[in-house]
Amino acid sequence: MWTRRAFLKAGGIALFAAGFGGSPAFLRRAAAASTQPGLAPRRKVLVTVFQRGAMDGLMAVPPFTDPMLPKLRPRLAMTAARSAGEGALTDLNGHFGLHPALTPVVPLFREERLAIVHGVGSPDPTRSHFDAQDYMETGTPGRKGTPSGWLNRAVGQLGHEGSPWRAVAVTSALPRSLYGDAPALAVANLEEFGVRPAGGKELARVASQSFEDLYQQTSADLLRRTAHESFEAVKLLSRPEITRYRPAKGAEYPRTPLGRSLRQIAQLIKAEAGLEVGFAESGGWDTHVQQGTTTGSFARQAQDLARAITAFWTDLERHQDDVVLLTMTEFGRSVRENGSGGTDHGRASCLFVLGNPVEGGRVYGTVPSLAPDALEEGRDLPVTTDFRGVFSEVAGKHLGIARDEILFPGWAGARFRLLRA
Amino acid sequence: MRIRSIIFLLAILLFLGPFASAARLGHRTGLPYQEAGLTQRQAAAILLDRFAFGARPGEIDRVVAQGLENWLEEQLSGNRPEHELVGRLAPLKTLTLSSREIATAYPGPGTVRAQAIREGVISRNDPPTDRAETRQKLQAFAQRKGYRPQRELTEELMTQKLLRGVYSENRLTEVLADFWYNHFNVSITNNRARPFVLSYERDAIRPHVLGHFRALLHATAKHPAMLLYLDNAQSTASNGTMTTMSQTTKRRGGMRRGEESQTKEEPPKGRPSQRGINENYARELMELHTLGVDGGYTQQDVIEVARVFTGWTVLLPGPRGERLQKHLSRANGLGFAGDGDFLFRADTHDATQKIILGETFPPGGGMEEGERVLDILARHPATARHIATKLAVRFVSDRPAASLVDRLTQQFQETAGDLRALVRAIATSPEFWQEAARRSKIKSPFELVTSALRALQADVEQPRPVIEWVTRMGQPLYAYQAPTGYPDRAEAWVNTGSLLNRMNFGLHLAAGRIPGIVFDLPTLNRGREPESVEAALETYAALVLPERDLTETLRLLTPVARDLAFAQKVDKAARRETEVSPEAPSVLQDQSTGVAADDERPSAPVREGSTVTMPTPLAHVVGVILGAPEFQRR
Repeated sequence: MWTRRAFLKAGGIALFAAGFGGSPAFLRRAAAASTQPGLAPRRKVLVTVFQRGAMDGLMAVPPFTDPMLPKLRPRLAMTAARSAGEGALTDLNGHFGLHPALTPVVPLFREERLAIVHGVGSPDPTRSHFDAQDYMETGTPGRKGTPSGWLNRAVGQLGHEGSPWRAVAVTSALPRSLYGDAPALAVANLEEFGVRPAGGKELARVASQSFEDLYQQTSADLLRRTAHESFEAVKLLSRPEITRYRPAKGAEYPRTPLGRSLRQIAQLIKAEAGLEVGFAESGGWDTHVQQGTTTGSFARQAQDLARAITAFWTDLERHQDDVVLLTMTEFGRSVRENGSGGTDHGRASCLFVLGNPVEGGRVYGTVPSLAPDALEEGRDLPVTTDFRGVFSEVAGKHLGIARDEILFPGWAGARFRLLRA
Repeated sequence: MRIRSIIFLLAILLFLGPFASAARLGHRTGLPYQEAGLTQRQAAAILLDRFAFGARPGEIDRVVAQGLENWLEEQLSGNRPEHELVGRLAPLKTLTLSSREIATAYPGPGTVRAQAIREGVISRNDPPTDRAETRQKLQAFAQRKGYRPQRELTEELMTQKLLRGVYSENRLTEVLADFWYNHFNVSITNNRARPFVLSYERDAIRPHVLGHFRALLHATAKHPAMLLYLDNAQSTASNGTMTTMSQTTKRRGGMRRGEESQTKEEPPKGRPSQRGINENYARELMELHTLGVDGGYTQQDVIEVARVFTGWTVLLPGPRGERLQKHLSRANGLGFAGDGDFLFRADTHDATQKIILGETFPPGGGMEEGERVLDILARHPATARHIATKLAVRFVSDRPAASLVDRLTQQFQETAGDLRALVRAIATSPEFWQEAARRSKIKSPFELVTSALRALQADVEQPRPVIEWVTRMGQPLYAYQAPTGYPDRAEAWVNTGSLLNRMNFGLHLAAGRIPGIVFDLPTLNRGREPESVEAALETYAALVLPERDLTETLRLLTPVARDLAFAQKVDKAARRETEVSPEAPSVLQDQSTGVAADDERPSAPVREGSTVTMPTPLAHVVGVILGAPEFQRR
């Protein structure tokens, strides 16, 4: 039996001869030496993970030696005591512990690649998810009208030619963080990127080539330029690192939206497609009800996060030096547990920063005693570190952006030192 | 001598009579397309491209027969009967419900849960909502209460927009509704605003798009969707500030009872938990809705305007709203005012003095202060220029000529923001017709979809799949999160991902691969079959892109169409090698029904190597036309 390829070679030509005069452009091109799309130069990459719904920082990284914690959270507080076995917190530094579901990241912390910043949040006290996410993504707390997102402005500050894959959200719609003038892509699934008509493979290839020709010659400038970039982007995806992608040995991504997103971001990085800013998100952190301890809704989310991040890190292999990953969440949760075994909207939470330039292995930030008079309005963990201090440090140092006033207009605070200079 | 010249003139007039009257008619709205070297048909195509969502087959003939000016005037009246649209919209349940009825019938999941707990259906200690057992209980509870899922509401919202875009006879009204909604953007991504977005567009935007700007401003300012989306509903006088109510009770108490008795006046409870002004609405009102970012206001003006709008809030359905209403009925004479969902709360309105853009608002003001601010903003010259610029960008070009913006600014000021006069001013401007402006706008994804459906005379049987394409191309309807609305310039619509999806949209639509969309390509050409690929291309390009100069497009498309037809043969032959596929139309000549056969079955996801009907070459040619650069422009 003929292989498909052999058929195309022989039968195709025959058909063509019967059908039309003149040689079809795509066959001419196929015959010409196939040119590999040029690799983008290796750049630094910032990957952000937005944990939507407000992660309970006091459950992820609890100050377990604070005697108020078990008092205010009788059903939720956990212990670092060895007697608790598998369900015990990991003692990070004698004061803070790490939730058992986050155990996969412990080695990264011990290797000093992973830093935790606690008490992070926004100066705007809103308890609305929508508003707080909006403010964190625009980078302008209290102002909704800011047209662009902070990550898009960061892309605008990179100061060199970029690949079409420079700024990518692996989401179905463009997140507010990437709204703005710098080109940014939202792609839910890399496999669906490209010209894909119904029909056969050959038709898809030809349709794609046809549109490329068509747009290359149009007199409309913007359409021509953008189409050129689009087809370059498609060609970068045709690299074997993408089409025959297997995660590195030991990198086992969870089969969850976050796992799939980070896996595709790793694909882009390893294919050297020119990614510089990646965006992924994870939902389900709004734990008002039956938050649980070692099991339950929080543990499920935390495990997903930890497994996705560690798989991503392992998968990066030799690209680890290029990448810093930053998590963020719109606010924290009430210190006191509520009547439903959950927690309500609060103020400060914590975030994770992972990467080789990170001065990791430490829990940064200030978490005061949880006694009610030390809390904001007597109930919430106060914001002691402005999220913009952390974001500007990470994006600024890692991507080489000097102008914090562009990233965070109207903010005059200082960067929060986390990365080696 | 004199008599002779008069006779001569009379003779000329007699001779030119019929022409002169046509010229006079033309001058009524005076569309200066001839000056720009355009024929009547070309001008009609431009009108349909810009003031409607594209032409349907045969529509240019109808507009020319009616007269371009008459068509525009009829569109400006907005009262063409809507026979087809009414039938299309009839199955939708939500369109005629009041915003209160909608909010009651489509409560958010949090509200349902809270109510279920109150009524003892689930307990606080039940597992979270995402667990099956709790979800089932909540679903049963919601069903008993007659609640409907919010997904249904947002789907109907998007459906009606698509159907109106495709089928409305009042084209201009649709285009303007799209423009003004985006100008006063609210978003279904906001939980609180979501249930009110449908009534916002219907009640606050639509009725005013052919009216006055001031009325739009008023209607949006008081609508729950805007009050919730930009947080004004939570904006209150800061603690310790004199409010309209405290001032009234003080005055009355001093006269009648003495100060200590004022607590008996029953101030309404249910005061918002967060006290203090919220500046968001005030800022966007000036920056986005009226003056524009460089409109000459200061941060202090933002604060003062925010103080003016303290107490402008929403009477929400549900137990809290009902309690509030009960208290309100007893708070007679304290300065409260209600109007549907809108509520003015005298107990949270800052009644101290304000100074806005140099004008003083003396202490003791109430709700009328907000109206006065809207008046000041609506007649401010910066507003006239801001709105003139946005209209010129939408209808003429991304970078409109200064002369056009100046003329529209002046028109806005002279007519006190008469939106009809502004549209007329655009259409009568030479800049609208000039070569530089022609095809200079990139269609938004929604414009692309509606114009393609109109061009193919498609029957939208099931709107959801095609609406998903609008999202995929970068314009999730009603879901732009920022109050700026979608940016109206080519760069914002054309990026690498969305451009590929535009091409895919063309191919999928023409191949009949978008479920729920039915059309018949041969019928478009009155059942005549093109003789060759080239003929198909020429015929269908002219049908889909009427009255355009197609020289470039045809030159570029001819080799493409050949390649496609050829590749198709290759694929089909490859398929025959491996399997026997069901009867597939093979070349142009042997198809008799076009893609109609494909359309009858809802298409399954196409998998490589599965037995799938190949799209016909004709469908491919049309797909390429729809995906080509020319069709992206208007």
